[in-house]
Amino acid sequence: MKLPSSLFSRRAFLNGLIGGWLAALGAAFIGPLLKYIVPPTREPDQVSVPLEEFKDLAPHTVKGFSWGNKPGLLKKTEEGEYIAFVGVCTHLDCNVAFVAEQRRFYCACHEGWYDENGLNVAGPPPAPLRRLAVSIEGDALIIKKRV
Amino acid sequence: MNVVRAWIEERLGLRAVTAFLEKKEVPRHKHTFLYYTGSSILLFLGIQIFTGVLLAFYYQPTLAEANASVVRIMTEMPLGWLVRSVHSWSATFMIALVFVHLLGIAFTKAYRKPREATWLTGVLLMGLSLAFGFTGYLLPWDELSLAATKVGTNLPKALPVIGTWLTQVMRAGEDVTGDTLSRFFTVHVSVLPLAVLAILGMHLFLVQRHGMSVPLEEERRKVKGPVLPFWPNFAFREAGVWLVLLGLLLTIAVLSAPGIGPQADLMAPAPEGIQPEWYFLFMFQTLKLFPARVLGLNGELVAVLIMMAGMAALLLLPFIDNRPFERKGKVITLLAWAGLAYALGMSIWSLL
Repeated sequence: MKLPSSLFSRRAFLNGLIGGWLAALGAAFIGPLLKYIVPPTREPDQVSVPLEEFKDLAPHTVKGFSWGNKPGLLKKTEEGEYIAFVGVCTHLDCNVAFVAEQRRFYCACHEGWYDENGLNVAGPPPAPLRRLAVSIEGDALIIKKRV
Repeated sequence: MNVVRAWIEERLGLRAVTAFLEKKEVPRHKHTFLYYTGSSILLFLGIQIFTGVLLAFYYQPTLAEANASVVRIMTEMPLGWLVRSVHSWSATFMIALVFVHLLGIAFTKAYRKPREATWLTGVLLMGLSLAFGFTGYLLPWDELSLAATKVGTNLPKALPVIGTWLTQVMRAGEDVTGDTLSRFFTVHVSVLPLAVLAILGMHLFLVQRHGMSVPLEEERRKVKGPVLPFWPNFAFREAGVWLVLLGLLLTIAVLSAPGIGPQADLMAPAPEGIQPEWYFLFMFQTLKLFPARVLGLNGELVAVLIMMAGMAALLLLPFIDNRPFERKGKVITLLAWAGLAYALGMSIWSLL
């Protein structure tokens, strides 16, 4: 079928074509830029700490270790088992402290509380502290992401 | 002298500008004092740029040196404590005046047609001022500034889809680290100043293009009210206001220089009694009070969405309030008072 007249003027066609090219060109520049401004994450899959340093930990006390850029907290239970947390409040990311007298974790930023098992019990935190898996291998404690 | 003037005039053609300033008039009425707020903001912006450059001569934006270099500025550099104190206090003065400027315009409804674009650029400038405050707060790299930055940069995370990415862009990664510090420094000393200059240029141009807005009751009077020539009468009065403000700034800066806390430790628990700068207190208090879950939704998300809705409403106020002096406009005025009362009340509560 032959149309009596063109649906587009030549100018509209060329404007659309050039505009489309420019948009594609822009996207080709912006894509890599967006990649560049966020560096790759560095959270470790596992860390290893010497058992020696944590062997004498009394039950219901907590000692810190480095979980990548975040503080990790290692706690010994009554039964002598180790449990580990990422010591970062689930509300707005402040580092928490263990208040030994009350056996609770406390976040000073917005007054959030967790019990000694990391369960959020008071204040704004929406979720329990993140748990990590602990195992003993030889003379090292291996702390891993929980799957 | 006239030869030089003629030479310059032939090349720059500044006659158009001076002619404009010569016949510029400033209306006189009971709200005239609001006209001084804009130029006073400019005064403090100038002081910020000047003292900021001085601070940047010695400041080092790295994990190891940031805190120590600020301590060095305050203890070893001649008058360094005063430069930092003026920078910090002038920021407070500037933001306080930005609020007064904005409230004065909002409650006299000076954003009404044809000044919507002036308002838009103004609200953007306020956003940039707050961004200056937020990024600057981290730079001394002490315990407080680290905790405040962690909270502030974590807020976007609650948003769906782009939230996590936004937080990563602000922090340069998952966590607040040394990369965050260099990023905040770069934004504070280069990205924001360029953005401010561009938008401020537009804002000032629009103010001149439309002339000073007058309150409705003046506008309705058919006869033209009394005016003051901008040059030299109004400029002279402005100079007086500037002098008073400058004296006030220096007095407070000398008497109450800011301190600095211990160097930030990425692994240490957040310190007791953390607080953001005063202009973020109402958000801080809101976040503290918001329950973890609201109507089955994440409380943080609800809080962030409400804040974003508030900001959008503020930005688009001239379009929402398009019948400023009818019933709708009066309701909006009441809502604005309620919003202001909320912000003030929450700020005071957080200090108790």
